[in-house]
Amino acid sequence: MNKTVLSDGEHKLHKISKVPMILLLIVTAVAAVIFLFPVFFALISAFKSNGDILKSPMALPTSVYTQNFKDLFSQSDFLGAIKNSLILTVVSEILIVCIVPMAAYGIERRASKVTSVIYTYFLAGMMIPFHLYMFPLFKELKMFGLYGTLTGPILCYVSGAVAFGSLMYCSFLKGIPLEIEEAARIDGCNPFQVFFKVTFPLLAPCTASMVVLNGLGIWNDFLMPYLVLPSGQAKTITAEVYSFVGQYTARWDIVFAGTVISIVPALVIFICLQKYFVKGITAGAAKG
Amino acid sequence: MSQRKKRFDWVTFGFIAPSFLLFTLFIIVPTVSSVYYSFTSWDGISPNVNFIGLKNYIEIFTSARFGNALRNTIILTVFISVLENAFALVLALAVDNVKWGKNFFRSAFYIPVLISGIVSGFIWKIMYNYNFGALNSLLKGIGLGDFCKDWLGTPAYALIMVGVVLVWKGAGYYMIIYLASLQSISTDIIEAAKIDGASSWQRFKSITVPLISGAFTINFTLSLINGLKVFDQISVMTDGGPGFTTETVVYLLYKVGFGEGRQGFGTAVGMVLLFVILILNTAQQKFLRSREVQM
Repeated sequence: MNKTVLSDGEHKLHKISKVPMILLLIVTAVAAVIFLFPVFFALISAFKSNGDILKSPMALPTSVYTQNFKDLFSQSDFLGAIKNSLILTVVSEILIVCIVPMAAYGIERRASKVTSVIYTYFLAGMMIPFHLYMFPLFKELKMFGLYGTLTGPILCYVSGAVAFGSLMYCSFLKGIPLEIEEAARIDGCNPFQVFFKVTFPLLAPCTASMVVLNGLGIWNDFLMPYLVLPSGQAKTITAEVYSFVGQYTARWDIVFAGTVISIVPALVIFICLQKYFVKGITAGAAKG
Repeated sequence: MSQRKKRFDWVTFGFIAPSFLLFTLFIIVPTVSSVYYSFTSWDGISPNVNFIGLKNYIEIFTSARFGNALRNTIILTVFISVLENAFALVLALAVDNVKWGKNFFRSAFYIPVLISGIVSGFIWKIMYNYNFGALNSLLKGIGLGDFCKDWLGTPAYALIMVGVVLVWKGAGYYMIIYLASLQSISTDIIEAAKIDGASSWQRFKSITVPLISGAFTINFTLSLINGLKVFDQISVMTDGGPGFTTETVVYLLYKVGFGEGRQGFGTAVGMVLLFVILILNTAQQKFLRSREVQM
């Protein structure tokens, strides 16, 4: 099912003659313009002075105006926020792609009654909304001394990825033949070597989807870092943008500069790794 | 799961333990303690937690504020789910059938999904601004200046205007799922129907629609559950206002928990939310199984 998503033009559900075809193209293009307009609006506003944003919101910037970015970095510790966002995303990702496929491997390849109970236990976690358990979670983080640290959110993100991740990895593992692993075992690898040297590399397509989808979620997350990271200093990009909205009610230009810094990395990664977004979403929907 | 059952041994434990430990510690333990806290008047700070029985739940179902939040949540969730699915399906059909720029269009519709809730809320907040916003400028530009409004400041519009942002941000996600479902329909069936003389509307109605009903069920459930959990846009765009007109159940939970120091009550609200999500999920599973549809 996923393979055909990317194919271009070969799949025709309805044969459409020329005039409706052009009409369809025009309508689709108009819809695309409407969908992209807010992003475009944020991009142009980030390079305009506050006066220009207010005076002519739709106009293109007349020159390459970078004062907003200079003000953003001089008036707030935005660099610290970027650093925190990066640390949270990268470290969580590394932990997720190490421990979640391991668990899936244990569940799928060393199946027993116990593992199938654990699998169900993990899947049940998918339904629990974060808002339900956030109050006791913060209390727990305080108890462990993790409140106000980056480690706290990281461990929560990793835990949050276990449910969906084991679902995805388990079903992906089913498609990988056992023979390769058996050959490695006969060659004298222990179970952990078999997993890390043989199976893990074969999981790469699934890992790529997990990385982009989880990464996007962590990069864009707001409530957890906003509430857990210490106040009085930079938190994450989204949390900073949120506090700017209250703080700089008259300086939209600065906030727009912040939004662009939040959007651009996600956009670049999406453009480079599109097919993994598509694969991850469709596989997730089919299995969930 | 593979057919060959093994004994659960230390090696298996070693594989599963890290995930199991974190998942239990940071998801299950707080969830289970939520059940307890929902029966207390815990304020989130003080060490002594008073058990108050069903009081929180009684308050939930009798208070006008919760009733209002529930009403707002239902309106917002239904609005989002219906429009997201309608747009997603239309966009998927367009992308599937358009001859040029398939990949470009698919990306264009997906790009809003990449933007964080806070950032998307901020962008639209500015676009909705009464004096300087793009929406009112556009209305004035095309001679409809009389329709200009303070979109987020008017109680009658605020909730729906927040909904518009969510539809814009979410439709692309569901489009990807519909698109995959559309593209999995075998061309043979379509060809056979064509030979039998079915018109394109008949083919759509009798082949495409039944074959994408699985995707529809999944998308509709997903969008309902996501609609219930909307938080970021409300916090940045309206903060629940004007008045309480955009205060949803999740936002109420947050406000009473952190703003008013009533985390026991907030947790009870969360339990109600979990209960609704469980019902929706069970309904989806039942529906999918009864139809035996394939994705």
